[in-house]
Amino acid sequence: MGVELTRPASGDVLLPPDQSFFDGLNGELTDKGFLVTSTEELFQWARTGSLWWMTFGLACCAVEMIHVNMPRYDLERFGAAPRASPRQSDVMIVAGTLCNKMAPALRRVYDQMSEPKYVISMGSCANGGGYYHYSYSVVRGCDRIVPIDIYVPGCPPTAEALLYGIMQLQRKIRRTGTVER
Amino acid sequence: MRAPAPAYAVNDGVIDAATAALGGKLDLATELVGEVALHVVRESLVETMLALRDTPGLEYQQLMEIAGVDYPDRGVERFEVVYCLLSLTRNHRIRVHVRTDDTLPVPSVTGIWPVAGWLEREVYDMYGVLFSGNADLRRILTDYGFRGHPQRKDFPLSGYVELRYSEEAKRVVYEPVQLAQDFRNFDFMSPWEGAEYILPGDEKAKLPEEKGAPTPLKADQIQKADAAQSAKAAPTEPKTTDSPAQTGAGKAEPK
Amino acid sequence: MADYLEKLEGITDAADPTLGDIDIQNYTINFGPQHPAAHGVLRLVLELDGEIIERVDPHIGLLHRGTEKLIEYKTYMQALPYFDRLDYCSPLCMEHSYVLAVEKLLDLEVPIRAQYLRVFFAELTRISNHMLNLGSHVMDVGAMTPNLWLFEIREDCLNFFERASGARMHSAYFRPGGVHQDVPLKLLADIGEWLDTRLPRLFEDAISLVADNRIFKQRNVDIATVSRDDAIKWGFSGPMIRGSGIAWDLRKSQPYDAYAKMDFEVPVGTRGDCYDRFMVRVEEVRQSARIMRQCLNEMPEGPIASLDRKVVPPKRGEMKRSMEALIHHFKLYTEGFHVPAGDVYVGTESPKGEFGVYLVSDGTNKPYRCKIRPTAFSHLQAADFMSKGHMLADTTAILGAMDIVFGECDR
Repeated sequence: MGVELTRPASGDVLLPPDQSFFDGLNGELTDKGFLVTSTEELFQWARTGSLWWMTFGLACCAVEMIHVNMPRYDLERFGAAPRASPRQSDVMIVAGTLCNKMAPALRRVYDQMSEPKYVISMGSCANGGGYYHYSYSVVRGCDRIVPIDIYVPGCPPTAEALLYGIMQLQRKIRRTGTVER
Repeated sequence: MRAPAPAYAVNDGVIDAATAALGGKLDLATELVGEVALHVVRESLVETMLALRDTPGLEYQQLMEIAGVDYPDRGVERFEVVYCLLSLTRNHRIRVHVRTDDTLPVPSVTGIWPVAGWLEREVYDMYGVLFSGNADLRRILTDYGFRGHPQRKDFPLSGYVELRYSEEAKRVVYEPVQLAQDFRNFDFMSPWEGAEYILPGDEKAKLPEEKGAPTPLKADQIQKADAAQSAKAAPTEPKTTDSPAQTGAGKAEPK
Repeated sequence: MADYLEKLEGITDAADPTLGDIDIQNYTINFGPQHPAAHGVLRLVLELDGEIIERVDPHIGLLHRGTEKLIEYKTYMQALPYFDRLDYCSPLCMEHSYVLAVEKLLDLEVPIRAQYLRVFFAELTRISNHMLNLGSHVMDVGAMTPNLWLFEIREDCLNFFERASGARMHSAYFRPGGVHQDVPLKLLADIGEWLDTRLPRLFEDAISLVADNRIFKQRNVDIATVSRDDAIKWGFSGPMIRGSGIAWDLRKSQPYDAYAKMDFEVPVGTRGDCYDRFMVRVEEVRQSARIMRQCLNEMPEGPIASLDRKVVPPKRGEMKRSMEALIHHFKLYTEGFHVPAGDVYVGTESPKGEFGVYLVSDGTNKPYRCKIRPTAFSHLQAADFMSKGHMLADTTAILGAMDIVFGECDR
């Protein structure tokens, strides 16, 4: 079984690799238990395939976040499993209203995550304050505290919307280079 | 009462019993919109509450809620603290109102109901009302280090500070509020029916045309008028036309 | 370092056998605010003696969103969706108190079909709330499978809400004067079928795994026992007071909407521990299903909201034909309706206990003050005396049996 090599469309800066050389090398090695690929693709495959997420459930959106994990939507089939510890997680889903009292805790959890780290902002409140935008105790968007990769709109976003958001994050990871984020 | 609100035991005799039990500690007892409210003297609040809990015929065993209300227009003693009591045995609710300002402390009822501890902390947090005798009067809901009392009417909706993570300071910093767009507060008072244009005698006006229309009447006045109207309107016997004479027509059918 | 070693020089355990055991001080640990068993954003400061809890100081307010202040700046209709977002596990029961309070001030009559629909969906909400609570409770004490099954039921409930109102969670379905829109007949038929087939099968299966389970009982029986007197003093309500053996249910004792016509029983506990509270909720699910079946059998025909056009907006079709309806629609969605001055306290039986709204109106189109009585406030406050003397690991069981949601607790 040969390995299909898909190269990212990368303009004319990179020299196109010698396809027949790779195919030959692959054909030679497959039987022996090896395959040839680029480090880029290997890293992307590893990163998108096991997005362990930090459950930062704050408010209503947390319930939908639980629902996406439960049998009906079953997020784990995408390799995304909930982790309670920031040290072990790759992506943080900020689900719900971020209040002033909670903001330092959010930043601390974010700082504890190991690189590469991604953040999904889930729901209107996390995106920009939403229904509570004008309140005296609400952070008007969690992007004031941590950098956000994906915004999922909705109040709350349905479970499907969050699922789509995670798939968008996977797309984003594939799009960006591995050397620097 | 026509609304499908929770129906508990009737209010009959509650005010009389409370007046007898409280005597001079009671300022004013009202029964509006089907609810009994007692306005009591602040200094003797604890005795009042004990009397309300222990007097047979009153027996309000549970304190369900302490609510603060701010009436800045009143000038002195602008805050009202409202205690919502519930009697499990008599299936009845009652409210106890106390007035105060931001310096005069209200006696704490934590000795009677320990649940009052947090409820009083919340009123203190939101309004700055002090409770004497509450050993743990810290802020409860607002941020650590919060300044001001947010539920006061003169506290702005968006507060004074907001948060941001500062890359220079490497921590979350507080900054004065800057809104990209202000909260839009519309004035719905049209010039010919605004509050300032209420003419003398308008308060004696009849019922509002329909529910939900602006009216100077209080909720309980409307309820009473409605009850009177529906009582008057209800016919004693159903209107039927069994015989031709009841139709009001001149003649029976021609022969 | 060197001083310390010098001090220890020559001291052996044999010479001083109690070295290190003389005064072990209590130590304090911090639990939360981001902890999976905290059911949200609770922060507990626990004072421990070994593994025994001496004192619990819950720090709340980490989800304080200023709802009460915001409500004062919105019209009565605009304020309604805030109630959905209070207790996001049982949104419709939160709306229930608010619409009843507004109706009480307006003295507004509600058509009987609307009352039935409200009761019907409030009970569906109760089921979905208890699914979340029972599931997370058993998960907190170590069982995984029941939670997955109970969430399957919850997912069904959310689908029903979506079909009735268009939103999975925050329905904004109850409105002052009735409900927002009528339900399709097929939806009622589907819920009826679901009540008879899917709900009992999944629910009874899941509960049978834990109700008589030895480990589950060891984690819950005689944990955090609350006596009747304590339950009254601490202002308990809902399953917490019923778990302590007081048969107090506002749906029974102070019936609102169509509850007076409903035929159901109030389960009570005998010992007042976490297990009793759990089982009270289990039985409440069955009783809710019973109420829902009765609603379906008796569901009357008629309007689904008051026909008073100064409060309830006209339907779309009417607006296309009637100028008056168009004006009403415009006025209601800009200015809103005016509520006559007065103050009321309305408490209803939410799945977590008595959820009250103290509404002060000054005759304008916005509430002057809307104080929300959260159920969790009194229950969480009692966590201190309930956990005293128990092990650290019991905290999760105690919190789970309290059924706390921070949207409502912190507002």
